Amino acid sequence: MTWLAEWAAYLPQMMSGLGVSLLIAGVSIVAGYPLGLLLSLMVSTKNLAIRTLGLAVVEIGRGAPALVILYLFYYGLPKFGIAFESITAACLALIWNAAAYSSEIMRAGIQSVPRGQLEASSALGLAQHHTFFRVVLPQGMRSAIPGLMGVAIQMFQGTSLAYAIAVPELMKSAYNIGSQDFNYLQIFTLAGLCYAVISMPATWITVFFEKRMARHT
Amino acid sequence: MTLAQIADGQLAPRLGIKLDNISKRYGDHVVLDDVSLHVEPGTVTALIGPSGAGKSTFLRCINLLERPDSGTIQVAQHTIQPGKDVNSRDLAALRRTVGMVFQSFNLFPHMSALKNISFPQQKVLGRSKEEADERSMQLLERVGLKDKAHQHPSRCSGGQQQRIAIARALALNPGIMLFDEPTSALDPEVGLEVLAVMRELAADGMTMIVVTHEMQFARDVSDTLVVMADCRIIEQGDPRAIMSDPQETRTRRFLRAVLER
Amino acid sequence: MDALSAVLQGLPMTITLTLSAFAIGIVGAIPVAVGLSSPKLPIRLASRLFVDFVRGVPIIVWLFLLKFGIQIGTFKFNPVGAAIVGLGVVSVAYLAEIYRGGLQAVPRGQGEAADALGLTRGTAFYSIMVPQAFRIVSPSIATYLTGLLKDSSIASTIIVTEMVFQSQAFARQHPTVEGILPYILVGVIYIALSLPVAYISRRLDSRMRKAVYA
Repeated sequence: MTWLAEWAAYLPQMMSGLGVSLLIAGVSIVAGYPLGLLLSLMVSTKNLAIRTLGLAVVEIGRGAPALVILYLFYYGLPKFGIAFESITAACLALIWNAAAYSSEIMRAGIQSVPRGQLEASSALGLAQHHTFFRVVLPQGMRSAIPGLMGVAIQMFQGTSLAYAIAVPELMKSAYNIGSQDFNYLQIFTLAGLCYAVISMPATWITVFFEKRMARHT
Repeated sequence: MTLAQIADGQLAPRLGIKLDNISKRYGDHVVLDDVSLHVEPGTVTALIGPSGAGKSTFLRCINLLERPDSGTIQVAQHTIQPGKDVNSRDLAALRRTVGMVFQSFNLFPHMSALKNISFPQQKVLGRSKEEADERSMQLLERVGLKDKAHQHPSRCSGGQQQRIAIARALALNPGIMLFDEPTSALDPEVGLEVLAVMRELAADGMTMIVVTHEMQFARDVSDTLVVMADCRIIEQGDPRAIMSDPQETRTRRFLRAVLER
Repeated sequence: MDALSAVLQGLPMTITLTLSAFAIGIVGAIPVAVGLSSPKLPIRLASRLFVDFVRGVPIIVWLFLLKFGIQIGTFKFNPVGAAIVGLGVVSVAYLAEIYRGGLQAVPRGQGEAADALGLTRGTAFYSIMVPQAFRIVSPSIATYLTGLLKDSSIASTIIVTEMVFQSQAFARQHPTVEGILPYILVGVIYIALSLPVAYISRRLDSRMRKAVYA
């Protein structure tokens, strides 16, 4: 009971943190997915230089821990005189992350479009860009939806790392409250619940989509 | 030695089976409507009919891979009423008595051909590895696949896999063998090797129930032809008689469709 | 190179964290996966809730909860203990989900064949289903291992002296341009460490597929 009362007292402060977390996640997705599409096209192109550049951006974004990229932006770049506010650095790092992960998912989606679709488009005499943007891309994106939803959830959880560069997001709010009263168990449990309350239903929706699409193809 | 003898080391017991009033539905959808079939020991029964007639479901009800909603199964000294609770001893006894061969072989892909045949013997009959392997090798030799003993199923053709699957079922010394469209997944030519093994088994006097689309096999090998349509048995009797002079219009329509293409 | 040797000082700890948590996950996920595939609804539901909840909470929250929130009598987690247990529990949840997917991917006919042959449920599960499921999921397990390697970096936030912690320490002491080096190096090391696992996983993937379902 006392927990519930304390939680109720902490909640307003936590909610402002949650707002920041959702903002960062939103920005990273809105900016990251179009970049991801661009990267997936770069990786699929025949031009070696473009392909290599695309691959490098993707592989670093997926291969290096998000925390390292975050530190690179926040602590590393200022040493060259390029300084960001902590929240900007967090957004940039997660955008890179989101772009790298989503590009792989979109590439797989585009590749899953049957060859026959290309052949049919050619046989109909459709121009290449029409074939790609009107025939291949819509079908590929459709099958990429569950994966992209998964990345979105991953990004939301990833915002918790911004704590490490003192962005006032959910985790940081929790830590601040905790270090006032030393009731870490309550406060981190509440923080965990806040994340779970969003992540869990989102996961269930993703699984629902996945199953529905598996049935329709 | 015959195939059936190798399976047991002596003559395999020839069992009959009585299925009475078997019914099965999925929700509102009836798949088997009060189907009864008596099979005499040592006979071959061929089940034919249009797809969706319930042939495979009926066959799978015999060893309770599908659980009928009502009916009685009598085999050897066991009587099973699947609509009620079936105790695990009866179920185990039923499955040990009845061997089954699937359309898609269902060999265990992570075991060699030999292990596929020996493993169930060890687990179900409690045979030692040596004993089991010896019988497995005899059976493999008999189905012409001794050289495949140590290969995994993925290295064998479909026809070879199906012959291994038949050997696997025979190794448990069943009194009755069920075949669920054993050649449907095979090229016609490859199917012949499997049919040859089945003919031999029939000649040895094995009790067999075969769901099949192979009309020639049904006519030449089976003692009883059973025609199923619309979840029921519509006609049964001597295969040649039915094929030359079907009594039911539904049978006639089906036979015309498969024989006159 | 100073930066490189500073970062590498954390390498043994990174590997210790990763492998310890992985070991906990590989074993602990077995009963959970069995629960996820249980025919009994309450067991299935409880396992599902456990898995989804553990995965629904970010790793950093688990680590802080264990490090700062848990005190039983005089017992408190040290940073390494909290990191290993936290990463271990998260691995249990993720690997259980992977195992479940593998069990589900074994063709239905395999279970039916085992039934028709009269094998017991236990034999069918351990000798027929599990070996095949393992082959199906081993690439996913390898992929998870590379993810866990990266996630072990989060332990730096509770002052575990692994690679990212060491990079941070070095960067703080070098406010010059040299201070960016450890971040680049540590990123490269993570990618380099993932490469062999990714390579093995790709090899396993094609080999297993060939062996099982060619």
